[in-house]
Amino acid sequence: MTESITIRGKLRYQLAVNVAGRLTLAFRRRRNERKTARPGWSRDVLAPPLKLSARMKELMSRHYLGGRYANGAKKVAWVTSGAPIEILKALGFYILYPENHAALCGARRKTVEIASEAENAGYSRDICSYARTDIGAVLSGKTPVGRLPRPDVLLACTNICQTVLYWYRVLADYFKVPLILIDTPFIYEEAHAHDVAYVKRQLEDMIPAAEKIAGKKLSFKRLKEVVRFSREASFLWLEVLDRAKHRPSPITAFDGFIHMAPIVDLRGEPVVIDLYRQLLKEIDVRISKGIGAVKHEKKRLLWDNLPIWFKLRKMAQTFAGYGANVVAATYTYAWGELAPMMDETRPLESAAQTYLHPLLNQGTGHKLESMQKMVREFSLDGVVLHSDRSCKPYSLGQIDQRDYFVNHAGIPALLLEADHNDPRSYSDQQAENRIAAFMEILEDSSNAD
Amino acid sequence: MIDLPSRKKVIREFQKKGGKIAAVLPIRYPRELFRAFGFLPVEVWGPPHADVTLGGSHLQSYTCDIVRNAVSFLLSGGLDRTDLILVPHTCDSLQGMGSVLLDFVHPKQKVLTLYHPRGVRKADFDFLTEELKRLCGELSDWTGGEPPPGAFWEAIYREETADRALARLYRDRELLGLSDREFYRIVRSREFLPAEDFIENEKKLARREKRSTSGVPILLSGIVPEPMDLFDEIETMGARVVADDLACGTRRLYKSGHSEDPFVRMAERLFSAPPDPTRGSPISERADHLKNLIRKSGAKGVLIYDVKFCEPELFDVPLLRKKLEAEGTPVNYVEFEMGKILSQQTLTRIEAFIEMIG
Ligand code: SF4
Ligand code: SF4
Repeated sequence: MTESITIRGKLRYQLAVNVAGRLTLAFRRRRNERKTARPGWSRDVLAPPLKLSARMKELMSRHYLGGRYANGAKKVAWVTSGAPIEILKALGFYILYPENHAALCGARRKTVEIASEAENAGYSRDICSYARTDIGAVLSGKTPVGRLPRPDVLLACTNICQTVLYWYRVLADYFKVPLILIDTPFIYEEAHAHDVAYVKRQLEDMIPAAEKIAGKKLSFKRLKEVVRFSREASFLWLEVLDRAKHRPSPITAFDGFIHMAPIVDLRGEPVVIDLYRQLLKEIDVRISKGIGAVKHEKKRLLWDNLPIWFKLRKMAQTFAGYGANVVAATYTYAWGELAPMMDETRPLESAAQTYLHPLLNQGTGHKLESMQKMVREFSLDGVVLHSDRSCKPYSLGQIDQRDYFVNHAGIPALLLEADHNDPRSYSDQQAENRIAAFMEILEDSSNAD
Repeated sequence: MIDLPSRKKVIREFQKKGGKIAAVLPIRYPRELFRAFGFLPVEVWGPPHADVTLGGSHLQSYTCDIVRNAVSFLLSGGLDRTDLILVPHTCDSLQGMGSVLLDFVHPKQKVLTLYHPRGVRKADFDFLTEELKRLCGELSDWTGGEPPPGAFWEAIYREETADRALARLYRDRELLGLSDREFYRIVRSREFLPAEDFIENEKKLARREKRSTSGVPILLSGIVPEPMDLFDEIETMGARVVADDLACGTRRLYKSGHSEDPFVRMAERLFSAPPDPTRGSPISERADHLKNLIRKSGAKGVLIYDVKFCEPELFDVPLLRKKLEAEGTPVNYVEFEMGKILSQQTLTRIEAFIEMIG
């Protein structure tokens, strides 16, 4: 059952989000900005956190606060992280990304409690831990953000995995709302014309379905504007990440993981453009002063796959303790590299191309090529491949990718067994030992040079 | 009882006649297209006797055994007599396998892929038609020729006849006087027998008077019932399989097509299959389909028997259970690792379930 939009609902939203929420969150942000260190982050090996983190946190908190009051004020869509949201955004939907919410639960170490609710209901621990966290939140109402809005529609795009479709079928059954599918054939080598035509046609078919739920017509003028905002933000995001090419790098991939939430969740909104412009300024100040995110950067590494959300800080510190900066990540890069494909003058055609081509919708050889390119462009010394137990699409292929780096490219590479969101599939001791051994190999390889 | 030849023998015989062999991974593909080009599709569902350590050099341990065993089997030379490998994009694991074969393993066989859409809309249907044309084009480029005139339609009609024979087998299963194991050996021979042989075999099976049968009637759901000893064990425990929702069983009961365009016709057939998570069917549709099977077969319980790490199946289990149990049908979910023998734990769980519903 979906909720209709009422004047009362809209008023409540205005008051809670745009008046009281805005003031409270701005106050909190100013307080956070005054803090010079991220609590718990070691200052011995890492530079102080980016000041803009406080603003980003404010933005994301406002987004989740908006979700709390969205029902009755806006139509709500739950979408997969790689979904073409521009149409929904142009129609005024409030958009929730369950994956991002699950990551937030992971970062706040709430996954086990919430995912257990799903496991108790019969969902296996072998399925994606994002999905388990989300289903657990739906079944129990548990969430660190207060409350998740009930969806009016679900949008699943298979360009990151098939798992999202299995998961959203569960949500569709639970909420009894329409599930819009954008199926994106996997690109083993090259996309075929009929693949692109298929995605475009689904986007066209999606418009009347979304309009019906939104209760209004799509304005193509507005759609083009949203695409323009998405494109600009994606380019800026890419610029932010590319700043890590400097030596010492002013940011770490872990900064990237933390600051990627707006490009995922708020893509298409001008506020993201503003935020990343400010972020660039701050990073450029660091560069001009020669400040490195890792204080004594000796080694530069690439991270492959999702982060281990519940161990972000620990990972950053562990590597920094060896003078290693994980400067780049395939995962954060994936949110920027398609920017050139977006074209507001051809919103649907370009969206079909863009959403067909994410890294995860392309073959394992393509991913290896992307990593090799990053190794060259970021002047990297080694590669860490997070073998993510509950994310098969990202992880399968890593054994051969690692072997390629080690045996053919002469680049040390580590396959690190963990899980993006489930601490029960991770061992601190084991990870530390593996990283220590890897750092030794890295050291030896540079001595040999 | 029919004397079924082994996969090896079938392959040898087919090759002797100048035919080529396509190894095909689960689940959906157009058999007729391969036959038109002179290939016999021989399906690879595991197999259970493969040495998984070989597959481990390419795929992590959290990949399902169907995929790991298939890669192991390939690396151990088990597919050496095949000319081509088709990896349909059935799930994330088979996506990974197809990609790793193409990009890293580079087997001596040609590797082809096929994307089956996840919806049943007109756009999905039209895409599948185009995808079948692409596959045909790749086969034609690789073999260096088109099928001989008429070969396409001949293959289509033959496969449709074989599928009708398969449907008759299911319809008449109670009249065949076969044990479950025997019945499923025949059903699963569709995975490797040429359609013409399958059709002949079905004709040879005599129908008898329906006799009262003993054993608790159950419906078996899942991907593949391996090892086949499972059926003997179920029988020993006092139960019998009266219906199935297996990916290698009724989930591939394809109807005949209508179109006069061969590609549209093949797409019609693939689209006619019952609901399946790998095709994105809504869970309620799956539940309704199972309820229908239960009603028609008189099954007293549903055993969901799945390969470990099979995500498409795992996501549906809790809601299927809820929906079926709400109508009074007990459901048991058992997960297995593919090997030559069934683990004691698996057997105990199945036995407890049969006792409970018996
Ligand atoms: S973590 Fe992996 S399996 Fe889970 S939703 Fe993301 S891409 Fe899919
Ligand atoms: S068993 Fe499941 S996960 Fe494995 S190949 Fe089959 S559908 Fe995919």
